[in-house]
Amino acid sequence: MAAEQKLMSVRRDWRERDVRVVLAALVIAVATVATIALFASQLQRTLVTSASSFLAADRQLEAENGRPIPDTWLQEADARNLETGQMVEFSTMVFGGGGFQLVSVKAVSNEYPLRGEIEVQSGPDSPRELVQTGPKPGEVWINPRLLRLLELEIGDALEVGNRELTVSGLLIREPDGGFRLSALAPRVMMHQSDVESTGVIQEGSRVEYVYLFAGEESSLESYYQWLQPRLEPSHEWEGVRDGETFSRSLERAERFLLLGGSLAVLLAAVAVAVASRQYALSQRDTVALLKTLGLNGAGIGRLYLRRLVLWGITGMVGGLLVAIPLFWLLASMLSDVLERPVDIHLDPAALMPALLTALVSLFAFAYPPIRRLRNVPAMRVLRSQPGESGREAWPDMLVAIVAIFGLVWLYAGELALVLSLLGGLALLLASLALLGWGLVTALRRIRGGGNAWRLALVGLYRHRNASLSQIAVFAMTLMLAATLVLVRTSLLNDWQAQLPEDAPNHFLINIAPDTVDEVAGFWEQQGQPLEELYPMVRGRLTELNGEPVKEAVSKDERIGALNRELNLTWMASLPEDNEIIDGQWFADSVQTGVSVEAELAERLGLKLGDRLTFTIGSEKITEPVTSIRTVQWDSMKPNFYMAFPPGGALEGLPATWITSFYLPPQKKTALNAFSRQFPTVSVLEIDHIIGRIQEIVQQVTRAIEAILALILAAALVVMAAVVSATLRDRQREGALLRTLGGRQTLLVRSTMLEFAVLGGFAGFLGVVAAEAAVYALQFRMFEGSFSWHWQVIVPIPVISAIVLSLFGRWQLRPVLSVSPMLLLRRLE
Amino acid sequence: MNQMTNPTAENQPPMLRAQDLTHRVRLETDTLTILQGVNLEINRGESVAIVGRSGSGKTTLLGLLAGLDTPTEGSVELDGATISQLGEDERARLRASRVGFVFQSFQLLPALTALENVMLPLELAGFEEPEKRARELLERVGLGERLTHTPRQLSGGEQQRVAIARAFASDPVVLFADEPTGNLDNRTGQAVSDLLMALNREQGTTLVMVTHDEHLAARCSRQFHIEAGQLTEPEALGEPVS
Ligand SMILES: Nc1ncnc2c1ncn2[C@@H]1O[C@H](COP(=O)(O)OP(=O)(O)O)[C@@H](O)[C@H]1O
Ligand SMILES: [Mg+2]
Repeated sequence: MAAEQKLMSVRRDWRERDVRVVLAALVIAVATVATIALFASQLQRTLVTSASSFLAADRQLEAENGRPIPDTWLQEADARNLETGQMVEFSTMVFGGGGFQLVSVKAVSNEYPLRGEIEVQSGPDSPRELVQTGPKPGEVWINPRLLRLLELEIGDALEVGNRELTVSGLLIREPDGGFRLSALAPRVMMHQSDVESTGVIQEGSRVEYVYLFAGEESSLESYYQWLQPRLEPSHEWEGVRDGETFSRSLERAERFLLLGGSLAVLLAAVAVAVASRQYALSQRDTVALLKTLGLNGAGIGRLYLRRLVLWGITGMVGGLLVAIPLFWLLASMLSDVLERPVDIHLDPAALMPALLTALVSLFAFAYPPIRRLRNVPAMRVLRSQPGESGREAWPDMLVAIVAIFGLVWLYAGELALVLSLLGGLALLLASLALLGWGLVTALRRIRGGGNAWRLALVGLYRHRNASLSQIAVFAMTLMLAATLVLVRTSLLNDWQAQLPEDAPNHFLINIAPDTVDEVAGFWEQQGQPLEELYPMVRGRLTELNGEPVKEAVSKDERIGALNRELNLTWMASLPEDNEIIDGQWFADSVQTGVSVEAELAERLGLKLGDRLTFTIGSEKITEPVTSIRTVQWDSMKPNFYMAFPPGGALEGLPATWITSFYLPPQKKTALNAFSRQFPTVSVLEIDHIIGRIQEIVQQVTRAIEAILALILAAALVVMAAVVSATLRDRQREGALLRTLGGRQTLLVRSTMLEFAVLGGFAGFLGVVAAEAAVYALQFRMFEGSFSWHWQVIVPIPVISAIVLSLFGRWQLRPVLSVSPMLLLRRLE
Repeated sequence: MNQMTNPTAENQPPMLRAQDLTHRVRLETDTLTILQGVNLEINRGESVAIVGRSGSGKTTLLGLLAGLDTPTEGSVELDGATISQLGEDERARLRASRVGFVFQSFQLLPALTALENVMLPLELAGFEEPEKRARELLERVGLGERLTHTPRQLSGGEQQRVAIARAFASDPVVLFADEPTGNLDNRTGQAVSDLLMALNREQGTTLVMVTHDEHLAARCSRQFHIEAGQLTEPEALGEPVS
C-alpha cells in the first residue's frame, strides 16, 4: 500500500506527455460544458426577464368573464410572497378637444408594471423616458395618435365617462402592449382608482380584468398548482412561454445551447478516450516493471484507479477555474447589450453536467484501457509482447457509448437529439468501415518511391489501423462541429426569414367591406402596399358532432380558443405559408367544409369529417372538417383557426376585413391622414414589438456565435490530441527516414499529403454524417426544413485537409530542426 | 548482384577521409569536446572496426563519417564528396544512394512489417521493384517466412537481421554499423556478425563498424582505438581472419 502511494504523484505524472494530454482533455471538457451550461442558464434568466416584460409580469391571470377574481386568490398570492398588480381593460368613447373617439382604456394599479418599463414622453417633442409606474390618479397618458386625432395638448382635459382627467403624458410603449386584437383603438392609460368614478363599467359591459404576478419561479409554480382547480373556463393563466410571438425563437435558441452542450460532452469524451488509451499503451512497460518488482494485479488496479481519481479532481478544479471567468466574460458581454442588464448569476446546478461529464468520460472511457493494464504480463520486461489486438476493447466501448449518450440524454432531455446524433455516428462508422475496406484494397497496389504522393499513400496504407482510427475521431469531431455550424446557420436564417427588415409591422382591422378598395388604394399610393386582405367574422365554436363542445372535449384540457370568440374567415386559396397536413384544400366550386388549424385540431381531437357548429350572433352554421393545415403564427400576417370556402355559409354574414402591412418609421405620419380618412378602421401598431424581438434575436445570435467558437476550439484541441497521440511514432519514423536518406522536402511533402488525405476523407465523412444528423434534428427539434448545405459540404473537407496537413507539418518540426544524429540519440 | 571490386584502389580517392575532425557540443554551462583532431582514411572494400570504451565518442565519430551530423571543425569526404560542405538535402541524397546503417537498437519502425521496413530505403531511393528486392534480401538473411511480421513479433536477433537486410537493400557503397551485436547474446551476436560479414563480402561494401566485441573487431581488416575522443591505429593487421 505504502509503496503504491509513493508511486503516485501528480508532479511525476505531469512529466508524462500523455498525462498532460488527458488532463488537458479533462480540463477542456469540464470548462466547455460548464461554460455552456452556466451561460445557457444565464441566457435563460435573461430571456425570461426580457420576455416577462412582455407580460409586465412573470404570469398573468386574465378574467374574460367581466368579473374580478375573488380577493382570496390575491391574498393567497401575497401569502406565497408573490408580487401582484391589477389592471382593467375596456373600450369606451372619450371626449376632448375637438370631438369623440373610441379608445381602448387600460386602468392600472400602482404596482404596474411588475416587469419591464413603460416608455413615455412628457410632450410631442420631449425625449422618451422609461418609467416603472403608470399615471397618477386623476391623470391619463394617451397614445400620440389620439392627441392628434382629438387635437389635444398636454395638460388638456379628457372626459372618460363621467370623469374629467388631465392628459399628463404620451404613451409610446407599454411593456405588455402585446399583440392582442382587443387592443384595437388608440390607447388611454389611467389609474385603476379612477375607474369607478367614470361610471363606464356597468353590469354586462365588456371588461377584462387582468392580474399580474411576479416572484420566484417555484412560488409561481406552487401558486398555480393551488389556483388551477379554482379557475373557471373564462380564466386564462398566461406564462412567458404560452404562444407569444417570439417564444418559438427563444425556445430554439435554448435548444441550440442544449445541442451545443451535448456536443461539448461528446467531444470531451472523445478527447479523454483518445488521450487515456494512449496513456495506457505507454504505461505497459512501467506496469510490467512494477510487476517484476512484486506488485500484483490488484495492486496495480488500485494504483491506477487512485491516479484516475486524482486526475478527475485536477481536471474538475482546472476546468472550473477556466469556465467561471470565461462565463463571467460572456455573461457581462451579453449584459452590456441588454436594455436592462440582468444580474450575473452562477447557477450551481449548471455545473453538474460538467462534473458528470468528467466522471463519465474518465470512468467509461479512460478506465477500461487502464484497467486492462493489470493483465500486462511481467514477461514484457524481458521481451516485448504483442500489443492489444483491440478486440477486447469492444464491449468496453459499447458500455462507454451507452454511458455517454445516456449523459447527453440526461443533459438535453431530448431523446430525438440523442438518436439523431447516434444515427449520424452510426452512418459515419458504417461509411468508415466501407472506406477502410476501400482504402486497404486500393492502396495495397501502390508502391513507394521518391515521389511524395506515392510515399504519402504508402504511409496511409502502412498505418491503416492508426489512419482509420484517426479518421474516425476526426470525422466524429468534424461531424459534431459541422452539425453545430449547420444548425446555427439554419437557425439564424430562419430568424432572418421570419422577421425580415420589412416584416409587416402594422395591422388594419375592422375595414368595412365597401371601403376595402379605398383602403388598399390609400396605402398603394403611399408606396406601402398591403398584404393579402381577409374577411373576418367573429364566432364561437359551440358544438362538435352535435354535442356541446365543452362536453365533447376532455375536461382537463383548458383550451383558450373555446373560451373566446374565434376569428373565422373564408378564402379561395391557401395562404403561402400555410400547409395542408391532412385532407384537401377546397376545390374550386366547393362551398362547404371548414379547414382547421393543426394544433387546435390536435387538442380538440378533430378528425376529417367531424361536424363543427359555430354560433355567430344568432346564427348557427355547421360544416364538416375537410382539411387540417399548419399556420405560421409568427408571420405577422393575419392567421385564422378556421377557414371556410368562398361563397359558403359564412359569406352571407356581416364581416369586416383585416390585413397587415409594413410601414417604415419615417412614414408613420401617414397614419394620421389615414385615421382621418378612415376613422372606423383600427390600426394596430406592433412595430415596437418587432423591434424588441429583433433586439433579442441579435443578443441570442451573439451568444450562439460565442458558444460556437468555444466548441470549435474544443474540436481543434481534440484533433490536436489525436494527432499528437501518434507523435512519438511519427517522429521516430521521420528521424529514421532522414537517416536513411529521405530529403527534408520529401518528408515534409509526403507527411503533409498523408494528413491532407486523412483530413479530406475525415472532413467528407464528417460532413455527410452531420447532414444526416441535421436532417433528423431539423425535423424533431428545430421545425425547419432540410436542404443540402453545399456551403459546408465543400469547404469543410478542404479546411480539414489544410488544418490537418499543418498539424502534420507541425509534428515534424522537431524532426526537421536537428541533425539525424541527435534524433537517433533521442530515440535510443 | 552487384559484385563490386576495386582493382584500381590506388588510383581512386579513399572511400572515406576525415581530416582534423573535432566535435564539440554546447552544454548548459560549458562546452564538451567529444572528438579531438581525428584523422582517418578508409579505402574501398576495407572493413574497419572502431573499438573503445563506452562514452569514448565512437557513435559520434560514426555519425560524422556517415554525414548524419556536421563536425565543429575539420572535414569528411565520402566517396569523393566533401560532406561537411553539403547541404542537408544533398547529404540526405548521398545517404539514400551510397550509405547503409545498422544500429545497436535495431531502429525498425514498429508499425511496419519486416518487408515494409526493408522496402523503406528502396522507396526513398526510388528503386523500381522495391518489394521484389526486399523479399530477396529477407530470404537471404533467413527471414523469408517472416515477411509480414512486425518487429514486436520478432526476437532481437531476427530484428537485427531485418535491419541488416534493410542496410544492404539500397546497394550502399559503405555500411556503418554501430555495435550491431551490442544488444544480443553471444550466440545470436555471432550469427548476426557472420551474416553481416558475409553480406559485406558478397556486396563488396566498405564496412565501418563500432564494436565492443574483440572477436568481431578481429574479423575486420583494420582496427582503430578511440579513447576520450582521440583516435589511434595500434597496428595495421594483414588479411582479416575469417
Ligand atoms: N548531443 C550531445 N549532448 C551532450 N553530450 C553528448 C552529445 N553527444 C554525445 N555526447 C556525449 O559524448 C560522449 C561520447 O558519446 P558517444 O559518441 O555516444 O560515445 P560511445 O558511442 O563511444 O559510447 C558521451 O559522454 C556522451 O554523453
Ligand atoms: Mg555508442
